[in-house]
Amino acid sequence: MTSFRGSGDVNEAALEVTALLDGLAPGEGDLLEALHRVQYRYGYVPAAAIGAVSRKLRLPEARVYGALTFYSEFRLTPPPETLVSWCSGPACYIKGGENVRLVLERLLGCAMGESSADNRLGLHLGQCNGTCDNAPQVWVDGEVVGPLTAATTVDLARRLKSATSL
Amino acid sequence: MPGYAELVAAAEPARLRLEAHDRPRLAVAVDTSTIAIGARATLAALREAVAARGLDADVIAVGGNGLSFAGPTIALALPPSTGSGQAPGARVLYQRVEAESAADFVAAVLERGELDNAWLLGALSGAEGLRRMDDHPWWAIQERRLMGDMGLIDPESIDDAIARGAYAGLERALGMTPEEVIAEVTGSKLLGRSGSFFPTGRKWDFLRTSAATPKAMVCNADEGDPGAWVNRMTMESDPHALIEGMAIGGWACGAERGYVYIRDEYPLAVERMEAAVEQARERGLLGDSVLGRDFAFDLKVVRGAGSYVCGEESGLIASIEDARGMPKLRPPFPAASGVFGQGSNVNNVGSYHSATWIMRHGVEKYVEVGTERNPGTMLFTLSGQVQRVGCFELPFGTKARAVYEQCGGGAPAGRSFKALQPGGPLLGVLPEFVLDLAIEPEAFREGGAIGLGGGGFVFLDDSACVVDLCAQFEWFIEDESCGRCTTCHGGTQRMVEILRRIQRGGGRQSDVGKFRLIADTLRYSNCFHGQFAPSVIVNALDWFTEELNEHIYGRRCPTQVCKGLVRYEIAGQDGDLAKAADYCPTAAISLRDDAYVIDDALCVRCDACREIAPAAVRIVDRFEAGLGPAPEPVSVQPAER
Repeated sequence: MTSFRGSGDVNEAALEVTALLDGLAPGEGDLLEALHRVQYRYGYVPAAAIGAVSRKLRLPEARVYGALTFYSEFRLTPPPETLVSWCSGPACYIKGGENVRLVLERLLGCAMGESSADNRLGLHLGQCNGTCDNAPQVWVDGEVVGPLTAATTVDLARRLKSATSL
Repeated sequence: MPGYAELVAAAEPARLRLEAHDRPRLAVAVDTSTIAIGARATLAALREAVAARGLDADVIAVGGNGLSFAGPTIALALPPSTGSGQAPGARVLYQRVEAESAADFVAAVLERGELDNAWLLGALSGAEGLRRMDDHPWWAIQERRLMGDMGLIDPESIDDAIARGAYAGLERALGMTPEEVIAEVTGSKLLGRSGSFFPTGRKWDFLRTSAATPKAMVCNADEGDPGAWVNRMTMESDPHALIEGMAIGGWACGAERGYVYIRDEYPLAVERMEAAVEQARERGLLGDSVLGRDFAFDLKVVRGAGSYVCGEESGLIASIEDARGMPKLRPPFPAASGVFGQGSNVNNVGSYHSATWIMRHGVEKYVEVGTERNPGTMLFTLSGQVQRVGCFELPFGTKARAVYEQCGGGAPAGRSFKALQPGGPLLGVLPEFVLDLAIEPEAFREGGAIGLGGGGFVFLDDSACVVDLCAQFEWFIEDESCGRCTTCHGGTQRMVEILRRIQRGGGRQSDVGKFRLIADTLRYSNCFHGQFAPSVIVNALDWFTEELNEHIYGRRCPTQVCKGLVRYEIAGQDGDLAKAADYCPTAAISLRDDAYVIDDALCVRCDACREIAPAAVRIVDRFEAGLGPAPEPVSVQPAER
């Protein structure tokens, strides 16, 4: 079989994806749960997992791939060692969030949605979760850092860079 | 399976713990909002301090209370029995208790009995002579019904919830016919809390009378509108109130399954809802025989994965159905064909939560507050350029000005009101007149707003730029468009292009006409996402005309927010400039012939230098300085240093 993902069967066995999908069933609304489980285990959804999910839930592979690429929280590539999510909500935005983004994009060495060349640091577009008392903020591996200013973001970015280059 | 009386009896220890405890209790509000400011660290530090001093007191975690601005908050409850100090039964709220000061706090409150101290926010009850919460502007204006138990009970304990009356509404509903339940919900005039404000009772009746079987209750807990977190409050602080409402709806509509679709950005809400569902199953509140009756109902929590359009009901249904969350054309409506073809009813968290309150307390009590056409209350969140941020509950009819001035404390020091952004990016931005509107969907629409929205209020002060907000919102809507309708994904993309060109000083006379044309075209999109996509730009055209025209024709940004319409220059050589140069992320500031200069081609206008050297750096209007149109912004390049 040829496909965009190459020959996946061997990798799939190595990935033990099928075991992760225990208890999930077709027609139960389990696709997102299946992909969450795979991503929780590997940090991303390896292309080789698509076949296993598609067989388990009796869905065409295109449908699994379609969902994978539609939802912004699924990753198709390994995550960076440290992920910085920038909050794009309005409370953060009007309080200087754009300045925070400008600094992060220059100092982390990657644009929004990308990772640095060595995959040590990545920048992710975050969505408002209602911790607006800390606006403008970012989440460093899920931990809120805020309220930030341009200058404190410079400090943060330099700290992150030196911490991960040890 | 146990009946309701057995459940209440089993929850008696929890009731005693809550109401008749024999030693002081410190309750830390722990939810996503307070965890962000160290609530877990405070909880651990309090426990350590109490243990280290060998004090006879409990330290527990409870749900959030909405007081984001005061967090981490601690509710002190002194035992009702006498002989335990000067204020038996007192309940007092303390604010901003950081982990570092936890030991001092414990010493003051529990050892020295100093209830009036630096952390005092206000007394909820008892404790004569202390400042009262009822006198606090944030608190006084509220009618805390749905939020009555938030910040009081442990959201991970079903017994806490039952001790406070949870599932009494379900028990009552199961003693009524489905028609009677729907009549009561209809009589309450409850309107859907998603922002659509469709009558909940009528919607339930659609499904009850639908021929489609089986049937399902769906809860829209996707709450994607940035600046709103009312649904998160319910799920994180009182999850059983939602389960109860869905079961009541299931009984009324003849549904045997329920789906709670929660956005991925709310992991704690997912965790607490899943735990609550599991506990409800163990107690026979979900399952084959709910409360021992001939009624089967079970719930499944579905976790989203990051998509704004999944908040649109047909997009949400598609997302549950193992697919991309793309909204569909209606009809068929969910009552005829919803999740996996089942007859379905989709309500917001707030609608189910309100139905729970109505069934627990009765419709007569429900209509005692609010207005004639909108009885009852609704949860709102407040954020943006205000003094106080948080979540609160108001009766309908409250004036928006009261929310801004009393709850929010008005604009930050030295600033003044500019606009209100209610209900997320699709509902536009409103100028001064909004403050005189009553908080009701009809009043907002009649006043000229697109709508009231699902509970989020983001206030802007006079430092904010409406054109910049338009660009950000249209970009957000473009980014979140599902891609089905060309009007939507193409229209929003075109608006972003024009707005960004205007923000770079390239405004054209034809732009206003183009905005109007695109806005008219977008209204023919299939779903709300495209139909309401132009709201913010239409509001800007109508109500912020002068500001928009100044950008287009004057090529200036009056608030100096739009990056392409300003540049940074050295205002005077100053000792702070060396540090500013060190902080510049693009090394745009350098020393040339003993004087610092800013290289405009490198400058990204991040404002770091002006923050560090406010006297030495100033922002100037590029066009006032006669510099002509701005160049295209430089591409993103990592700095060398």
